[in-house]
Amino acid sequence: MITTKEGRLSVGYLILVALAVIGLTVGILRFVNGLGATTNLSDDYPWGLWIVYDVFFIPVSAGAFMISAVTHIYNREEYHTIARPVVLAGFLGYLFVVVILLMDLGRWHKFYNILIPMYWNLHSFMFEVSMCVTIYTGILIMEVAPAILERLKWQNLLGMIRPLTVLIAGAGIVLSSLHQSSLGSLFLLMPYKLHPLWWTPLLPLMFFTAAAFGGLSMAIFVAVVSFRAFRRRLELGLLTDLAKIVSIMLGIYLVLKVGDLLLAGELGLVLSEGWLSLLFLAEMVIGVIVPIILFGTPKMRESSSGLFWGAACVLVGLAINRTSVPLLALKATGGAVYFPHWMEFTVAAACVAAGVLLFDLAVRFLPVFPEPETEAV
Amino acid sequence: MDRRSFLKLSGVGLGAALLGTKQADPARASHAHSNGMAMLYDNTKCIGCRACQNACKEWNRNPPEAGPGGLYDAPTELSADTWTLIQVAKPEGSDEWAFLKRQCMHCLHPACVSACPVGALQQTEQGAVVYDPDRCIGCRYCMVACPFGVPKFEWEETLPFIRKCTFCIDRLEDGLEPACAAACPVGAIAFGERDSLIAEAEDRIRNNPGKYVNHIYGKDELGGTSMLYLSHIPFEELGLPTLGSEPVTRLSEVIATYGTPSVALSVATLLGGLYYGFTRREAGAEEIGAEEATRPEEREVEEA
Repeated sequence: MITTKEGRLSVGYLILVALAVIGLTVGILRFVNGLGATTNLSDDYPWGLWIVYDVFFIPVSAGAFMISAVTHIYNREEYHTIARPVVLAGFLGYLFVVVILLMDLGRWHKFYNILIPMYWNLHSFMFEVSMCVTIYTGILIMEVAPAILERLKWQNLLGMIRPLTVLIAGAGIVLSSLHQSSLGSLFLLMPYKLHPLWWTPLLPLMFFTAAAFGGLSMAIFVAVVSFRAFRRRLELGLLTDLAKIVSIMLGIYLVLKVGDLLLAGELGLVLSEGWLSLLFLAEMVIGVIVPIILFGTPKMRESSSGLFWGAACVLVGLAINRTSVPLLALKATGGAVYFPHWMEFTVAAACVAAGVLLFDLAVRFLPVFPEPETEAV
Repeated sequence: MDRRSFLKLSGVGLGAALLGTKQADPARASHAHSNGMAMLYDNTKCIGCRACQNACKEWNRNPPEAGPGGLYDAPTELSADTWTLIQVAKPEGSDEWAFLKRQCMHCLHPACVSACPVGALQQTEQGAVVYDPDRCIGCRYCMVACPFGVPKFEWEETLPFIRKCTFCIDRLEDGLEPACAAACPVGAIAFGERDSLIAEAEDRIRNNPGKYVNHIYGKDELGGTSMLYLSHIPFEELGLPTLGSEPVTRLSEVIATYGTPSVALSVATLLGGLYYGFTRREAGAEEIGAEEATRPEEREVEEA
C-alpha cells in the first residue's frame, strides 16, 4: 500500500509524510498562539472537531481490547495472528487521541493536575475519562512491548512481561469498559442541551456497545486492509467469526436505540426533527442496518470484500454518531455556527497520517505479522 | 426541548433501582446549600440603566468591550470580560419591553462543579460557585455542561482561563453585598438569604395581583439557583430556558458513584470467571493448572 515492490516511496507515502509534517508545524503554532488563533472554537462552541476526533478514535481503538479479550480470556490461540496488528493499531489510535487531547486542553501545561489526588473530582466523568485514557495507554504500551522486545532480543524483560500478559489484558479490558462507557456518561449532564434522539440515561451503555462493535469492525478493517497491503495470507475464518459477533452486537444496539425512544415515547422524533432526524437515520441505516445485512449473510461475511464493506459501514455509522453527540446534536448557547478552522482539520489529518506511517514502520521493523516459516507469535 | 422524563430508565434495572431511592443518594447532599445567600432580580423595577454592569466591570477590573466599528457600546452577550449583562426582550406581537439581568445563576446543584475533573470549580458555604485558576486544565467541560451558558473562555490568550461571575465572593467575605446589587439605583436587585428572598418574592406576587407572572424563576429550576427572578412577562419569552426541578447533576453523579465501581467489579469478576473456566477446561484434571488459574481472577478484582 505504502511502498512499491522495489521499495521506492510511493505517492501515498509522500502525501502522508507531508501531512504529518504540516500538522506538526500547525501543532507548534497552536501551542504558541493559543486555541483562539488556531481554531474556530468560541464561547458558543467550546468543543469542536478535536473532541469529535477523540470520541471517534477511542471506540475505534477498542478493537485492541476486544481482540485481546478473545485471545487471552477465551484462550483462542488462532486469534493471535491478528492480535498483534490490531493491538498495535489500537495503541497508535490511543497515542494520537492523547496528542489531540493535549492540543485541545486550553491549559495543556497543567495537564498533570489530573494526576494530583487532592484535585480529583470523583463525580466527574471527564476525570474518569482522563484517568482511563492515561492508564490504558500505559497498558497498551505493555501489550505492544513484546513485539519490540522480541526484535531487540531482550529476553530478560520479555520473560518478565510474558507471565503478566493475561493480567495486563484483563486490566485493559476493565479499563476499556469503564472508559468507553464513561465517554457516553460525559453527556448525562446535558439533558437540556443534547437532543432527545441522543440523550438518554442509557448513554453509557450505548457508547459501550458502540465501542464493542466499532472496535471489532476496526479489527476486521485493519486485518483485511493490512494483510492485503503487506501481502500476507489471511485466514478469513477468524474474521468471519468476528463479523458474526458484530452483527449480533449491532442487533442489540438497534434494539437499545429504538427501544429507548419507544419507552420514552419519543419515537416520533425519528421523523419530525428535520436534518437531525436525517442524521439519526443515516447512522441507523449506514452504520447498523446495512452491516447487519452484510455480516448477517454467510456468503457476504465469508468474502474479504463483504468483510471490508461491512466494517467500513460500521465505522462510517460510528463517525456519524460521534459527530452528532458532542457537536451537531448539542445545542449551542448562542446563535453562532461552527465550521472547523483549516488548522483544526490539518492537525486531525496529520494525526491519522502519522498513525498510518508509524504502523507501516512498525510492521516493517517489528515482528507484527506472523512469518509463514517461523512461529513469531 | 421537552423536559426529559426518567421513564426511560424503566429499561435499566440497576439505574432504576438506584434512582428510585431518592433519599439514599450521597451525591445529592454534597451540593445543597438551600439557605445560602441569594439575589432576587425584579424586572418590573429594573430601568435598564446598566449601573450593575458597570459596577461589575469596575469591581472585577474587567475591561470594556469594543463592538463592531470600535465603539464601546454595551456588550450583547456574556463573555470572559463581561460577567453580568442587562438584556432587553420584546416578545413578538407584544408592546411590552422587559429587562433580563444575566450572570452566573450560582446553582444549588451546579453542573459545572460536577463536571470539572480537577475541582477547579467549587461551591462555597454561602452558595457562590467559584473558580480556582491554578487547578484548571482548560478542558471546557464546564462550558458545555452549564445549562445557562455562563462559563466563558479567554479565547485570545495563549493559556486561557475560564471566567465568570464570582457572586463577588471577595465582597461577601468582607460583609459587603455583590457590586451589582450595591449599584442598582432602584432596588431591582435584592441581596440576602435565599429563604427570605423567596418569601419576599412570594409577598410581591401576592400583594400585586396581575403584575407578575406567578412563578419565581430559580426557586425550583434544576433543584434551585441562588439567582431568583420575578418577571412581568413569561420567562421563556425573556430567553431563560424552561427547566425541570430535577438537578442535572443527579443522574450523572449517581452513575459515577455507583455505576463505575459496579462496572469495574462485575467486568473483572466476569473475566476472572471466564479465564478460570477456560484454563480449567484446558488443564483437564491437572490440579496444579487449576490452582494457578484462580490467581489472575483475584488480582483483577483487587485492582478494580
